[in-house]
Amino acid sequence: MARIVPRTEMTLVEKAYIPEIARGLKVTMGHFLKGFFKPESIPVKHYPEVEPFVPRDYRSRHRLMKRPDGEPRCVACFMCATACPANCMTIEATSSDDDRIEKKPSKFEIDQLVCVFCGLCVEACPVDAIRMDTKKMAFAADKRETFKVGLEDLMDWDPKDYPESDIQSQKAPGGTLNAQARKEWGLQ
Amino acid sequence: MSNFYHMPVLPKPDAKKVTINVDGADVEVPEGTNLVEALKTIGIDTPHFCYHQDLPVSGNCRQCMVETDGPRGMGLAIACYTPVRAGMKVATDRSSDKVKQARQAVMEFQLANHPLDCPICDKAGECSLQDNYMAAGRHESRMREDIGKLYKGSPEFRHEDAKGQERGGKHVDLGPTVILDQERCILCDRCVRFMRSVAGEEQLYINQRGDHAFLSTFPGMELKHDYDLNVTDICPVGALTGKHFRFRQRVWNLSKTETIDPFDSLGANITVEHNDGQAWRIMPRRNPEVNKSWISNRTRLEYQKLSKDRLTAGSFQKAEVPLAQAVARAGELVRGARKVAVVASGTLTLEDNAALQALVAGLDKKAELFSGSWAKVGSPDGIAQSGDPVGNRLGLKLLGISENLDELVARAKEFDVLLVAGHDLWALDAQKAKALEAIPERIVLSPWHDATTAKATLSVGVRAWAEVRGTMVNCQGRIQMLNAAPILPSPDLEPVWQVVSSIGKLGWTSELDAYKAAQAGIPALAGINYRGIGSQGRLLEGVVA
Ligand code: SF4
Ligand code: SF4
Ligand code: SF4
Ligand code: FES
Repeated sequence: MARIVPRTEMTLVEKAYIPEIARGLKVTMGHFLKGFFKPESIPVKHYPEVEPFVPRDYRSRHRLMKRPDGEPRCVACFMCATACPANCMTIEATSSDDDRIEKKPSKFEIDQLVCVFCGLCVEACPVDAIRMDTKKMAFAADKRETFKVGLEDLMDWDPKDYPESDIQSQKAPGGTLNAQARKEWGLQ
Repeated sequence: MSNFYHMPVLPKPDAKKVTINVDGADVEVPEGTNLVEALKTIGIDTPHFCYHQDLPVSGNCRQCMVETDGPRGMGLAIACYTPVRAGMKVATDRSSDKVKQARQAVMEFQLANHPLDCPICDKAGECSLQDNYMAAGRHESRMREDIGKLYKGSPEFRHEDAKGQERGGKHVDLGPTVILDQERCILCDRCVRFMRSVAGEEQLYINQRGDHAFLSTFPGMELKHDYDLNVTDICPVGALTGKHFRFRQRVWNLSKTETIDPFDSLGANITVEHNDGQAWRIMPRRNPEVNKSWISNRTRLEYQKLSKDRLTAGSFQKAEVPLAQAVARAGELVRGARKVAVVASGTLTLEDNAALQALVAGLDKKAELFSGSWAKVGSPDGIAQSGDPVGNRLGLKLLGISENLDELVARAKEFDVLLVAGHDLWALDAQKAKALEAIPERIVLSPWHDATTAKATLSVGVRAWAEVRGTMVNCQGRIQMLNAAPILPSPDLEPVWQVVSSIGKLGWTSELDAYKAAQAGIPALAGINYRGIGSQGRLLEGVVA
């Protein structure tokens, strides 16, 4: 059965057109004058001049975690690529130079134009090798190819940008726990 | 006691049936078979590790437990070595808790000291241990992580990992083709039995006993055999991996195309496994009448050539030209020639050769068809190769194409155009092929840059064997299908029959047209269509005595 939504009829003033235009302009001009004379009162973010607050668990650009010796933690198991709904990860595996480790990636590429930033790769990783906690959420480039980030880019991060409580990050070279981790790992 | 066990009796389609009682219901199963096979015929899969259809039964893993009736009532027995007997009672995990518990207990033992390697294990996705765990395992663990594991492995390979746990033998190099992970081995001894009973060269054995046991090669020996990569297929776990495929792909990302090996006249049944337009490996496809479950290393590595040195365009007077232009030029040359010599090939399908035949017939007296091969013919190795590298030799014979290549060499001067398809004549016998250089226009259809395309005046790239759909007749007189995997190096490449159809203006649009032409020439093919050939091939009546 059709449902009839009653229309409200226009009043005489509304029908007269001019007063309504004036009313609308009053709102517009009000904002304009307020912004002109008291700009600090406008609720805007000064992006990109001022860095916005991004929480740590915001799904931002990926990074690959590092072992104490700076090698990727990634064991090239393809779990992330298998879980990826956008099919944007290209991994190639090779055997590791460290005898105690079986596999490592020789190529690890994420096409960030294709990535949907769902975080499923992070969930899938069995060894905490990939994370999306870099807080980087805007990246620009002038070529499609540049959006494909590789092993080197993904491992290019500094433990100092991560909190002390992030043990995994601090174990990487340059981190506060690196020396201890290297000893446990059997390195000098 | 001998180390040689009995081969399993497999159900034959015409086998006599006996009635047994499974989980309380009377069913008919083939006589004489073991319970794993008998239960499979009625749709019950029994989890197992050590049993393999084409290997002697050794019954050591105990995963295939069922209950059967004996003198002391119902009791556990291994299904892989218990033959069916009329009137016997069988209880599977569907009705018996005891069977369920027995299988869980075996599974728990198998996994107690098994490494947690699945993410980095090449077998993951096709691993019996994973499958059987899902089917029959105890899904809550009773293991204590603080105690750790006692990993298997020979003393010389023991080492401590980064967490201080003692590990066994990882990536042990067994020989030129295979790598062993002793920790992952479940000691099913399939590989040992394969080398002993199928390959006929004992190179592997299980060293020591109990939880000290590990697999290794005999002292001073390595694993080296023309068929040794088959152990990586039959290994139910990721203990044996082939160097050619190790770490290349995860198996769940691969699609499979069923085809056959065209470079041996037995035509071993295989699957080409590929993704993203590239072939990554070749696996055997079981055909009890042809190659059982085995393929030679040569067959298995044939995929590597599919992406190497491919001729993806045409070439005319040493300059690359687009394919369409090369084909058009070939057509002009052939049709305008005084006398054409066409060479058919036994490594091409019936369809391709039927097209060459039709081309010659269409040119009337102007063309002559030659065939044959200068490839060396070996002898059957008794496993999965006949030794004759010309896969479709019998098919050519059935088409009535005679082996008269040497006659062409003798009469080369009579011709002014030569058309060679699917034959690397100059590589097989450069001496004899030299005479063919007297023919001024030499057109070569080839998937690869090879010695023959180097001598061509006009070469045309065509699809390789794994990229075409067609048929071949193997040395047993069995017609078998080749299927096209989507791995073309260039989308413009056409199969030989199509190029020939363009050259001769035959107007064929699909391989079915070509197959029909082949059918017209071979009476034994009457009434057999592609579907009738099926995945296991079809023996042609009266072709081989
Ligand atoms: S899931 Fe983790 S370990 Fe596996 S390939 Fe991805 S990043 Fe590497
Ligand atoms: S053999 Fe490999 S895939 Fe199978 S259970 Fe063991 S580690 Fe996992
Ligand atoms: S290596 Fe594989 S096939 Fe050989 S005994 Fe071990 S598990 Fe069985
Ligand atoms: S399959 Fe029966 S004991 Fe191994």
